Amino acid sequence: MTLYHFGNCVALLLPYYFTYKYSGLSEYGAFWKCVQAGCIYIFTQLCKMLVLATFFYSDSSSSNGEFNFFAEILRCSVDIADLLGFALILSRIPGKGHSKLITAGLGWATAEVILSRGIMLWVGARGTEFSWIYIQKCLESNVMLVQHLSTATLIWLFTRHDLNKALKPLVSILLVVTIFKGVWLEGLLHILSIGPWTSIAVKALVAAIIGFCSLNIYACLAQQIGI
Amino acid sequence: MLSEADNLADIFRGGLPYFLIITLPILIICSPCLASEFQVMSMTKFDVNGEQFGSRSSVISLEAKSLYTWSTGRHCVLARLMDISISDFNKIRQKAGGLIIMFPDNVQALSNEVKDQILMLEQQMLSQSIPIPVYFAPFTKNLEHIINDITSTPIQNNVQNKTALGQLLLSVNANGYHITVDGQNGVANKNSKVSTIQGEFVPNPFAMQQLETGGDSNILPLILITANLKTFGIINDYPLNADTAVLMALIEIFSKLHTTVSTTPKYRLGFLLSDSGLLLNFQGSKKWIEMDDNLALRNVEFVLCLDTITRSLDSNQPNVLYMHVSKPPKEKTSISNYFKLLKSIAGHHNKNLTVEGIHKKINLADSKLSWEHERFCMKRFPAFTLSSAKSPVSPLRTTMFKDNESYIIEHLVISVKNIAESLACYMYKIDPFSEVFEGHAAIIEDNIRPYLGIKATLQNNDIKDGFEKYLKNVKIFFDKPDEREPDFMFYSSNNPKLNIYRVKPAIFDLFLTFAISVYLFGVYFAIHFFPRFYSLISNSTNIYIRCFIKSSPNALKRK
Repeated sequence: MTLYHFGNCVALLLPYYFTYKYSGLSEYGAFWKCVQAGCIYIFTQLCKMLVLATFFYSDSSSSNGEFNFFAEILRCSVDIADLLGFALILSRIPGKGHSKLITAGLGWATAEVILSRGIMLWVGARGTEFSWIYIQKCLESNVMLVQHLSTATLIWLFTRHDLNKALKPLVSILLVVTIFKGVWLEGLLHILSIGPWTSIAVKALVAAIIGFCSLNIYACLAQQIGI
Repeated sequence: MLSEADNLADIFRGGLPYFLIITLPILIICSPCLASEFQVMSMTKFDVNGEQFGSRSSVISLEAKSLYTWSTGRHCVLARLMDISISDFNKIRQKAGGLIIMFPDNVQALSNEVKDQILMLEQQMLSQSIPIPVYFAPFTKNLEHIINDITSTPIQNNVQNKTALGQLLLSVNANGYHITVDGQNGVANKNSKVSTIQGEFVPNPFAMQQLETGGDSNILPLILITANLKTFGIINDYPLNADTAVLMALIEIFSKLHTTVSTTPKYRLGFLLSDSGLLLNFQGSKKWIEMDDNLALRNVEFVLCLDTITRSLDSNQPNVLYMHVSKPPKEKTSISNYFKLLKSIAGHHNKNLTVEGIHKKINLADSKLSWEHERFCMKRFPAFTLSSAKSPVSPLRTTMFKDNESYIIEHLVISVKNIAESLACYMYKIDPFSEVFEGHAAIIEDNIRPYLGIKATLQNNDIKDGFEKYLKNVKIFFDKPDEREPDFMFYSSNNPKLNIYRVKPAIFDLFLTFAISVYLFGVYFAIHFFPRFYSLISNSTNIYIRCFIKSSPNALKRK
């Protein structure tokens, strides 16, 4: 609508800064680490795009509103590369305790916001036409932050050898649920034809549940190894 | 640079400002994307005899309002054609900033009263100069939705109570629309021209030798048939040129008679077709009469002008053909004879077509003539007009709305048959109750249908080819406006794009800022209390682990 509206949309992204500022990352001087994590995000996305463009039949029918289940499953299977990217971040970037995970998740999420929402917000939210979609996308980004933080935690847990054997399947299940969220969650929202606001709430709820589970497991392990 | 930065603030101390100098202009160039876009047609704009007609300006960038809520010149009215009354239109014309009219989806489906209202409004719009920009949009679901939206919002406002908070919430919730049309102001087209095309049947030379004239066809009495090709109505397009179709059908029919020696009539039959009759004050025929090298206007039997030969919109009316004359014809004159023939033929062949004569004197004080035959009458040629319109101010004469085409063609066939039969009876002096056009010469729909969609004299050369195929002496004249005192002037116009943006009032953004700051405070406190939440979970998991270890000693061993 106006530059002011654009400002409103950007203000909605402030939780990213809060996370950085108040989670202790700023005290560790982890800014450059976050940027590195973002670079790995870009690298991962480029690899994913290459794979998608080379091996996958681009089905344009999904663009006109209908939900193509099979194409979505194929697409999500490529998202396993995201997990590899997270693993790469966790293995390459040094960090200590909690801050390592937050660095990975925050860097990843920030890079995603800037790259996938930045142009849209700058071009769209500043335009004369008003649409709720920009506010919605920004709110969704907040959900994605929680989502990526928990994914980073889950990957870290998955790579640990000292994780309780009984919890291992749970971690794996949570990871699969996270990756194939694009299929089952979007499909469910599509079938129930839920409006944009409610679907954000549902996504937030799902992200909160996954986050809570992984936090519990993490807390359990952290107690054992004494971080 | 980045690797040395330990903090967000460190970045800005380095070389980043220089990068921003490069990237910011690129970002600013990225223009915001466009919103709902509609193709609209601008209203026509033309001058006749120094008088201005049509919409005189073209740029709109205003807030959209409905017919019932607009109040100032900063509002652009967006409405359906059916909803606008003439008094509404006059008010809008004087005070609003712009007008965008959506055509109905299907004119045929409207009731007769609404059709009449549309016709009256159309005539009103064509009869004056409109200072505000006026555009017409074809029916689309999207635009319909927007019109419904701007019409229904204020109604809800009135229903609800008037507390301050309620008003505030309503104004926050309200949808506004911003309209822009980037039309260029049409400039006078220096190449404006009105074309007139003439042609005549030259009798078969063998037939001519049998006559006493000795082969000179020019001394035969001339029957001239004229029609107007309408090239514009309220927009720069005219969907149905019935009069032209009738003229072309008559040419085609009579060409069959002229090629045979035995049926060559003792009359010359001339045809004249000129652009945009009534709206341009019959400029084409005026110029044509004044010219020297036209068809020899000597020994004129009569001039038959075709004008609105069929009603294009309200077809429920009885099919009546009016013969308009400027003075009552005396007995035994050519016009009176023809009128009697036409009347008796119509009564004999078609029960559902009646012919009536109407007499109206030429009003020389009027700036505009009512009928084309008045142009000829002023030069002392016997002339009359055949029309389905009873009154010269009938809006049907300039309307661009049309009914079902098959219905119109059905009417046209009847009219053409009557005119052709009566002309044949007149020329051959035969009994009006014998049919000339029957059998292989019968008039069918295919004679008329190909000519219905003709848009202009020069477009595709359809008319020129048709004239040259059957007629001799075919000439096209172009009348250009005088540079000092133009009789008429057209304006170049293009059909621009209409953009409608959904906008929210400024108070909405303030409200949004408030809501967002509340949300941010929530997030801030959530993050602040996260360590406490984490230790709570740690404690609970501790208890859980202890329970787990107690219950399964195997797990302990493994550890």
